Amino acid sequence: MRILVAEDEQVIAQQIKSVLSSEGRVVDIARDGTEAQFLGETEPYDMIILDIGLPQRDGITVLKHWRGMGVQTPVMLLTARDGWSERVDGLDAGADDYLTKPFHMPELSARVRAMIRRQAGRASPIFSKDEISFDTRSNQVMVSGVPTNLTSQEIAVLSYLFHNAGRLVSRMELSEHIYQYDGDRDSNTIAVFVNRLRKKLGNDLIETVRGRGYVIKAAA
Amino acid sequence: MKSLRARAVVGGMLSAVAIIFLGFTGLSSLGIRQPEQGFNDLQQRRHERVVSVVETYRATPDVLVRRMADPVFERPYSGQYWQILTPDGAILTSPSLQEMRLPAPADVEEDQTVRSLRMPDGQTVRSVGLWRQFDDGQSWHVQVASSLQGLQDSQTLFRRNLFVAFGVVTLIGIIGALLQVTLVLRPLNALRRDVARRWQGEDGLDIDDYPTEVVPLVTDINTLLERNREISSRARRQAADLAHAIKTPSAIVRNELERLLQDGQDVQISIDALDRLDAQLNRSFARIRAGGGHAERPVVLDVSAALDRMVRAFGALASNAERDFTSDVAPDLRARIEQSDFDEIVGNLLDNAMKWSKSRVCVTAKAQDDLVVIEVADDGNGIADADMARVTESGRRLDTAKPGTGLGLAIVKDLIHAYGGALTLDRSETKGGLSATVTLKASLRPRS
Repeated sequence: MRILVAEDEQVIAQQIKSVLSSEGRVVDIARDGTEAQFLGETEPYDMIILDIGLPQRDGITVLKHWRGMGVQTPVMLLTARDGWSERVDGLDAGADDYLTKPFHMPELSARVRAMIRRQAGRASPIFSKDEISFDTRSNQVMVSGVPTNLTSQEIAVLSYLFHNAGRLVSRMELSEHIYQYDGDRDSNTIAVFVNRLRKKLGNDLIETVRGRGYVIKAAA
Repeated sequence: MKSLRARAVVGGMLSAVAIIFLGFTGLSSLGIRQPEQGFNDLQQRRHERVVSVVETYRATPDVLVRRMADPVFERPYSGQYWQILTPDGAILTSPSLQEMRLPAPADVEEDQTVRSLRMPDGQTVRSVGLWRQFDDGQSWHVQVASSLQGLQDSQTLFRRNLFVAFGVVTLIGIIGALLQVTLVLRPLNALRRDVARRWQGEDGLDIDDYPTEVVPLVTDINTLLERNREISSRARRQAADLAHAIKTPSAIVRNELERLLQDGQDVQISIDALDRLDAQLNRSFARIRAGGGHAERPVVLDVSAALDRMVRAFGALASNAERDFTSDVAPDLRARIEQSDFDEIVGNLLDNAMKWSKSRVCVTAKAQDDLVVIEVADDGNGIADADMARVTESGRRLDTAKPGTGLGLAIVKDLIHAYGGALTLDRSETKGGLSATVTLKASLRPRS
């Protein structure tokens, strides 16, 4: 799951990034409105955390631009302003949620989780298929009730495939959603991660469609 | 005397009284002295004629009496008399005197004597008497008397007419003065109304609408209006900037502390202190925002459009929270309220409803008499009757399990009161949870 954090305050941006990364998300940071607008428009993010008070172009202007361009990525606004006017402006411009500064990190990650889950059209935070279950809240994977340890990249691949269960996901798409913007994207390493997952979780979970990509079929 | 109207009225009255007094005395002395002069002149001529008859015919008294024949002297008690005292002591009188006699003259006097006499029949007469010494040495006394009745009657009538005329003039003058004052002061009254209407928002006052004399005042008022708007918006901006400036470092500190806490460091005391700091800041900023609203006179807000915007915005939050969110907003509702304050009121109420509802939240707005009535209802557990009054106290949180500052309803209440509206909390009849009803005074459609 790849997330854009558009926040000019670098310390906060890094704090958000470290919390979300520790949960297996890939995070890009935009430091101003222009950069945020460009990244949001060109990169396939799963969601965007957008500070309203960005330099150069404010968050609401950027959001309106995205929605005008047809970018439907879920957006959570961060606002330091107290009043409802700004929040309503943002929501009316097409934001899906907001968080007021100062916020608690656990609250932020819960909101992010819920938003990604809703994007996948799911109400439950737990995905499961056959004897395997994946809890998006803790990133805990269980095989027949026994916890299994996965690396953050493995979790990223598994999470994206579960969130898009029933749909064929190409290696390119997968790499776009698990690597950050300036990361070294090598779609061959995707195959490595998938193989490791098969070793840990069994061969039946992730199916390969030769030459096209991967799919988790009919997850519940 | 502070009132211009009173000054103008009193000033007008004083000058009117002075003019009327002078006019009345002037005209009345003119109208009274002139007939008196005419009366005296006529009497003088009659006397001279009688003297000249005496001079010519004094040798033959019979002829003399006949020559005197003048209708006014013939009719008994006509008010016009003559009486002649001959040197030998005989008294000749006009037939009009009948048996009456004018009083005898004093001893020989050279000059003409004018006297006011009261006749036996009650009339007052003016008598002119003269001792006339002829060349032959004889002294005749010639006396002519005329009744003053006619003169006095005409003078009384004149005075009465003059009085009535001036009464009418005074009345017209007073009405005219009042009309004039009203007319002169009308631009000032219009100015007062305009200032009240345009105190906040909209444009300043158009100097072309006012008389030249008040244009400097209007210009000053425009400057004041402009400055007032600037000051209040700057104060709000500064408060918001301050909040923004403090919150970001506060958020950074909080995140660092929570990370340390997760790593097993004992930083709970610092986190508690930061919680208090944030709560205090939130409270202060909320007060600043609430206090900034009513110092100025806000523009008329299209409540229906503002509510539609809130409904669109909360649609996303409602679907996040899996709530069934419905709205029924009547068109063309208007109230005099700052948009940001309106957002604050409805935002807090909807936020509460989303937080406490089980599955349904509903907002309705309608016009009722001269009020705009907005109701936010949910199907949550509502508030116990005993807690209804306490719930709008600042910092009061009935359920501390859900996040919140405990300021929402207190801010809402303060803001609504600042605009002269009312907040009623009750159990929702349709939804079963809490019903929060906001009533604001409706505004008419602004003049285009």
